[in-house]
Amino acid sequence: MKSKKFIVIVSLFVLASMLLAACKTSTPTSASTTPSASSPDTILIGTTDKVASLDPADAYAVRDWEVIKNISDGLLTWKPGTTDLEADLATDLGTVSADGLTYTFTLKDGIKFGDGTALTATIYAAQLNRLLTIGPKCPNDVADSLAVPFIKSIAAPDAKTMVFTLIKPIGFFLQILAGAPFTAADPAIFKADACNLIPTAPVYGTGPWYISQYNPDEQMVFLPNPYYTGAYKPKVKEIIVRFYSDPNTMALAVQSGEIDIAWRLLSPEQLTPLKSVANLHVGAINGGAIRYLILNHTMKPMDDPNVVKAIASSIDRNEIADTVFGGQVTPLFSMVPPGFLGADQSFDTTYSSPNLDAAKKFLEASGYSATNPVTITMMYPPEHYGASTAAWMQVIKKQLEATGEMKVTLTAQEWSTYEPALTGGDSYQAGVLGWFFDYPDPSNYMDPFVYNGGEGTNVTKAATGSTTGTPLNDKADQLVKLLAQADSETDLTKRADEYKQAQAIYADLVVTLPLFYQAEHVVYNSKISGTSTLASPDTLNIGPNIVFYYSTLSKSK
Amino acid sequence: MSPIALIALIIGVPAVLLLAYVLITGSSGLRRYILTRVALTLPMVFILGTLVFFILRILPGDPVSSALGPKGTPEMIAHIRTQLGLNDPLIVQYGRFLKNMVTLKFGNSLVGGHRPIIDEMSERFPATLELIIPASILALVIGIFGGTLAASKRKKPTDYGFRIFAVFIYSLPVFWFGLILQLLFGVKLGWLPISGRIDPIIGTTLKTYTNIYSIDALITGNWPAFWSVVQHLILPVVTLGLIQSGLFIRMTRANVIETLQADFIGAARARGIREHVLIYKHALKNAMIPVITLIGLQVAILLAGAVLTETVFSLPGMGSYLVERISARDYNAVQSVITVFAMLVAVISLAVDIIYSLVDPRVRY
Repeated sequence: MKSKKFIVIVSLFVLASMLLAACKTSTPTSASTTPSASSPDTILIGTTDKVASLDPADAYAVRDWEVIKNISDGLLTWKPGTTDLEADLATDLGTVSADGLTYTFTLKDGIKFGDGTALTATIYAAQLNRLLTIGPKCPNDVADSLAVPFIKSIAAPDAKTMVFTLIKPIGFFLQILAGAPFTAADPAIFKADACNLIPTAPVYGTGPWYISQYNPDEQMVFLPNPYYTGAYKPKVKEIIVRFYSDPNTMALAVQSGEIDIAWRLLSPEQLTPLKSVANLHVGAINGGAIRYLILNHTMKPMDDPNVVKAIASSIDRNEIADTVFGGQVTPLFSMVPPGFLGADQSFDTTYSSPNLDAAKKFLEASGYSATNPVTITMMYPPEHYGASTAAWMQVIKKQLEATGEMKVTLTAQEWSTYEPALTGGDSYQAGVLGWFFDYPDPSNYMDPFVYNGGEGTNVTKAATGSTTGTPLNDKADQLVKLLAQADSETDLTKRADEYKQAQAIYADLVVTLPLFYQAEHVVYNSKISGTSTLASPDTLNIGPNIVFYYSTLSKSK
Repeated sequence: MSPIALIALIIGVPAVLLLAYVLITGSSGLRRYILTRVALTLPMVFILGTLVFFILRILPGDPVSSALGPKGTPEMIAHIRTQLGLNDPLIVQYGRFLKNMVTLKFGNSLVGGHRPIIDEMSERFPATLELIIPASILALVIGIFGGTLAASKRKKPTDYGFRIFAVFIYSLPVFWFGLILQLLFGVKLGWLPISGRIDPIIGTTLKTYTNIYSIDALITGNWPAFWSVVQHLILPVVTLGLIQSGLFIRMTRANVIETLQADFIGAARARGIREHVLIYKHALKNAMIPVITLIGLQVAILLAGAVLTETVFSLPGMGSYLVERISARDYNAVQSVITVFAMLVAVISLAVDIIYSLVDPRVRY
């Protein structure tokens, strides 16, 4: 009996406490008046990407750059829906000295951060110098890829002028300058002496939005920057980016109306059913995400030029695209995807693959035959590039073995083991990799696979003090010189021509074997629209550089 | 006060009070047993942590290469490894790990935002608690009452129905069952949300103290938020709870049947005690001892089940955190999570043993 009384007393106490707590904070909040995911003032974007760093001096991932580009502006930016450059914080595209080493820009008037602090050239230059000094000490180290190798100094001779002095002429410098690392970081948040990967909200920049809340792995809330004076003012009151751990759940969420937009990364299997849902639109962005084979030119049998040429001659890219992806990827015949400066079809021109007769001739020239086939081991990560990787690797195996003179073994390896082993260039003969550019320029599709070990291709060997490394042979030497020349050329016509020549040599060497490029997809409901006066409204003004500007979005009631 | 400290306080204070009560009022055998168990828990966690530390480093792969991908140059990788202390001698790294474990600071994550792991766990652990507590209650309620009902109607349609249900539900894969519920109640009928912990817009108005959103909503009186959290919990809790209930149904049924055949039940029945009193008061109480043991063991299984449930429903909890960090070879995070899980399982096992002795006075240590 006593215990029953005790339970009753405790229950009453708990109930009373809850009621008291409820009364204490019963002041109406906005939640109690507008608790709806279908609010016309808020756009909900789902993603499976994670945020790794919001510090412009450190960030080096697609999601991070997207956030930074929405809260901060740079001197230049890409016009929404395109890879064309336009002035952003600068008054124009700047001027370059005759020797190609000095770029000068003038800042627009009245630029302020989201907390009301004015941006001057002195502050901006100091923050960009932070990229050069603190950047290399930050964990994602974007600076060592996109700033330190190119820039000697950044100065602000007066409050409105910024001067960049380069180490060597760089033909694609303006493209680099449009990226997230060169946006104006708020000095109150991103201090001169330390990296600040995940700052506490609110996080301000000079861009159209600021981050008002961030619950890691759950959601990030963007509100309009009241001091924004740029060209792309927000059209809705709030953007919420919701993070998903499983793309299947995200696909169901956009289908059920829980989110308005699903943006990165849905696989072809998840997209197919969404295409037939009445209120949904699936936009395909022919971005620069490519898949290719790394061939290790210093390991047997890939050290034999005839073997790599035989492989290049045997591949049927259309079969991969049709049978595995139902036509949702596009065959790729050069490392530089179509639409980029100087892009051509060099592998198609050189090999007209599939050409099994040509493949056999190459193999027989090296003494291989049906009774003495060349044995090849190809590696792949089973999950990192989607569950379909095993399927298309099987197609590649079948195509190579169709020559009757190649025997292929496929081996799956988990990503964290696979990636360093493949790109280290000591362990695997061949393996699949994917690439997405840092800046939309052909150099970013070729240089990394040639210079300094080339991500495991070993057509050059890394050498101390050299930016390119020591070439493996004469053709590699010719390619390195041509690429270096094209990299520093500022005349676009000449650059395009030089990259075309380089692609021909690249194909002849089969430095890597380009396979296909994959469109990125954005799925959104019928209430959402992009800006019709800008490029690519069908894909919500997301262009080939897959930069998503939230301020181009509208939502109907 | 950080949310995880607050949670530790909420759980820890009653646990310490219970322990103190038992130590003061319990028999000398029980006292000795509890003190031995506590003393053994510490080396157990230490051995487990040490094993995890070395196994992770024996495994191929590297957190830095994995995070940077093809864009990481050898110089960048070497540079970042040095910064993170991964190039230090193993013994130095191990010393650092032990220090972090003893101080419960756990160090910083090696990937993502490189944030303090204690902060990341503060955000993640409440989501897991909020999932597994109601899921356990659901599993127990269905399991105990279903099992008892089945036992009382032995060899009748109700019994067969519960037995078939138990085997069927326990054999369902969590991710498949979760997906079916999402499709049915989220997409087709539109009754319930299918992902996340709270409506995104309402979530912006919720002030958090414990990061257990239901409790935070209650203590701040944010009823729309509370209702939203409950709605978001229904599908994941039902998924995890129903599947776990299968085992409890079978266990309870078997024990109640066995107890019902005992002499004291026959004697009670002969004295004219009503059947439902006989079953629910006398038989069930005696049949509960093995079930309580099972509850302790189920905690570890629930944590494992939570991994898949959290992934399917995009709940940012400890399970999905562990999976993400194992893939990324985030040594620090994996070591910390496993240490916390080990401590949790050890504490709950101890609590179960204590409850065991309180429920059944015959149990002596």
